[in-house]
Amino acid sequence: MSATAIRPADGRPVRQSTKDVPPNMGRLIAIELRKMVNTRSGFWVPIGVAAVTLLVAIIASANHHGHDATFAHVLHAVVGPCAYLLPVMGVLLICGEWSQRTKLTTFTLVPSRRRVLTAKLGASWIVSTIAVAFCLLVTVLAASVLGHHPGGTGSLSWQVVGQTWIYLAATMVIGLAFGSALLVSAPAIVTYLLLPVVWATIAGNISALAGVSHWLDFGQTFSPLAQETLSGTQWAHALVTFVVWAGIPLAIGARRIGRGDLD
Amino acid sequence: MLPSMIEANSLTKRYGGRTAVRDVSFRCEPGTVTGFLGPNGAGKSTTLKMLCGMAQPTSGHASILGKPFAQLPNPGRRVGVLIDASAQHSGRRGVETLATSAQLMGVDRSRVEEMLKLVDLDETAARKRVGQYSLGMRQRLGIAHALLGDPEVLIFDEPANGLDPEGMRWMRALLRDFADRGGTVLLSSHLLGEVQMIADRLIVIARGEIVAQGTPSELTGGGPRTTVRTADGPTADRALRRALTEMEIVLREGPDGSLVSDAEPEQIGRAALRGGIALAELRTASDAASLEHLFFELTSDAQPETQTETRDLQEAAR
Repeated sequence: MSATAIRPADGRPVRQSTKDVPPNMGRLIAIELRKMVNTRSGFWVPIGVAAVTLLVAIIASANHHGHDATFAHVLHAVVGPCAYLLPVMGVLLICGEWSQRTKLTTFTLVPSRRRVLTAKLGASWIVSTIAVAFCLLVTVLAASVLGHHPGGTGSLSWQVVGQTWIYLAATMVIGLAFGSALLVSAPAIVTYLLLPVVWATIAGNISALAGVSHWLDFGQTFSPLAQETLSGTQWAHALVTFVVWAGIPLAIGARRIGRGDLD
Repeated sequence: MLPSMIEANSLTKRYGGRTAVRDVSFRCEPGTVTGFLGPNGAGKSTTLKMLCGMAQPTSGHASILGKPFAQLPNPGRRVGVLIDASAQHSGRRGVETLATSAQLMGVDRSRVEEMLKLVDLDETAARKRVGQYSLGMRQRLGIAHALLGDPEVLIFDEPANGLDPEGMRWMRALLRDFADRGGTVLLSSHLLGEVQMIADRLIVIARGEIVAQGTPSELTGGGPRTTVRTADGPTADRALRRALTEMEIVLREGPDGSLVSDAEPEQIGRAALRGGIALAELRTASDAASLEHLFFELTSDAQPETQTETRDLQEAAR
C-alpha cells in the first residue's frame, strides 16, 4: 500500500512513484499482440495459417512450369491464405473482447477506449507486417529448395512486395473495422465476406452503378495490389475502397465502443 | 474537505423510461470496509459500474481518489476492480491472465506468483485454462487480479458468489486486513450475513435508491428490541397481538415467522401471561438480528422480477 503522495510546498524534489505512469502506446500494442496468441485458439490459428501458407508455396512452386512462372506469381499465391485469414483475425481482435467479456478487464485497466482501439490497429499493422515477411521468406525458400528459381529473383518487384504488404494490412484493418461496428464475430465475418459479392452483384445488374463498382468493390480494386505495379487510377480505386470500407465501419465502431456501457 | 477515496454524487442511471439507479450518494474513507447491500436487481452493479467508468451516469458524477475513474493514469495500480469473475477469456491460462495484466500495469512479474499464492491457486490450477475453473476458482483469480497492481482501493461486486464457507471466511479476513492496513474497500452483496461481520459501514439500496446508510450500530439503533415467537401458531399470534394492543404495544412481522417489537421483553412476557398464551421464544434482539430485520424491512417489497427487468431493458437499450 503506498501512501498518497504529498507534495512539499517549497518545491523540493519528490520521489516519483511509478504508480501513476500510464502504459505507453508501445506497451498497449505489445499487450494486444500478446492477447492475440496467448489463448488456445489464438495460439493455433497462426500456426495453421503458416502451415497452409507453406503448403501453398510448395504447390505453387511445383506447378509453375510455364512461361509465367515468375517469383511474383508464386508470392501472389502464397499470400492467399493470409489474405483470407488476417481480416478474420481483425474481426476477432475486437469481437473476442465482447464474446469473452474480457472488455471489462481491458477497459478498467485502460479506460480510454480510443487508445485501446488505436493499439488494436497498431497490432493489426504489425501482424500484417510479420505475415508479409513470412510469405516472402516462404516464397524464396520454396523457390530455392524446389530448384525452380522461377524467373529468378529478378522478377521480384519490391514495389509489388510493398503493395502486398499494404494489401494485407488494409484487409486486416477492414476486418477490424467490421468487427468494431458489429461487435459480434459471426455477423461481422459474414458481412465482411459477403459484402464484396453482394456489391458486385448489385453493381453488375444496375448499369448506373457500373462506374462506381470500380471504386468500391474490394475484390476488384485490392487484388491487383499483390500482382502488378499499380497505375495512378488503380491506386485511386484502392484508396477510395479502403477509405469507404474501413473508414465508415471504423467510425461507427469508435462511436459504439467509445460511448457504450459495458455489461 | 479532502476528496474521499470513493465518492458517488447523486448518481442516476436511466435505461429507456426506467430508472435503475436514482440519486445515489455516498463516500468511502481509507481504513474502512463498506458493505453495499441490496437484493438482486436493486442497482448495486449499475452503481459500481458507474464508479469504474464502465457505465455513464445519466446524471451525477463519481470519483475515485478525487478523479473520475477514466482520468486515473494507470487505474490498475490504484483501484482493484472485480465486477464479474466470469469475464475472463476461457482459453487463457490463469497465470497468463495475470501475467498479461501485470505487463500492462507495469508491475513486476514476481507479483503474479505472489498473488497466486495469496489466493491459494497452486501451480496446477494456475496452468489450467480459465474455462476449466469452477466459479470459486474464478473468484480467487479475480481477487488475485484485483490485487495485482497493489492498489489502495478495492471495488468488488458480489465476491462471495461461488466461494465455499471456508473461502468466504478467507476472503473476509483478506479484505479486513487490507482495510486495516489503510486500504479502502467497497463490496456489494445481496446477503447481509456476508458483509455484516467485516463492514464498518453499510449502504442499503433497494429499487435503485439508498434506503439506509451508516455504521451497523447506527442502523440498528432504531431497530426492534425484542423478538418473540408463540408456541401455538397464528391463532396464538393474533391473541398476543390483541393482548399487546391493549397496552399500546405494536407487534410486527420479523424474519422467518418471528414477531418483533420495540417494547421490552418483560412487558411482552406479562401480556402473554395475562392472555394465557404460551411462548416458545422471548429474547432481546441481538444487533445482528435487528440488522437482519432492518434489511428485511427495507428491502422486502422489492419485486423479485426486477433483475430480469433490468436485464431486458439493458438489452433493449443496446
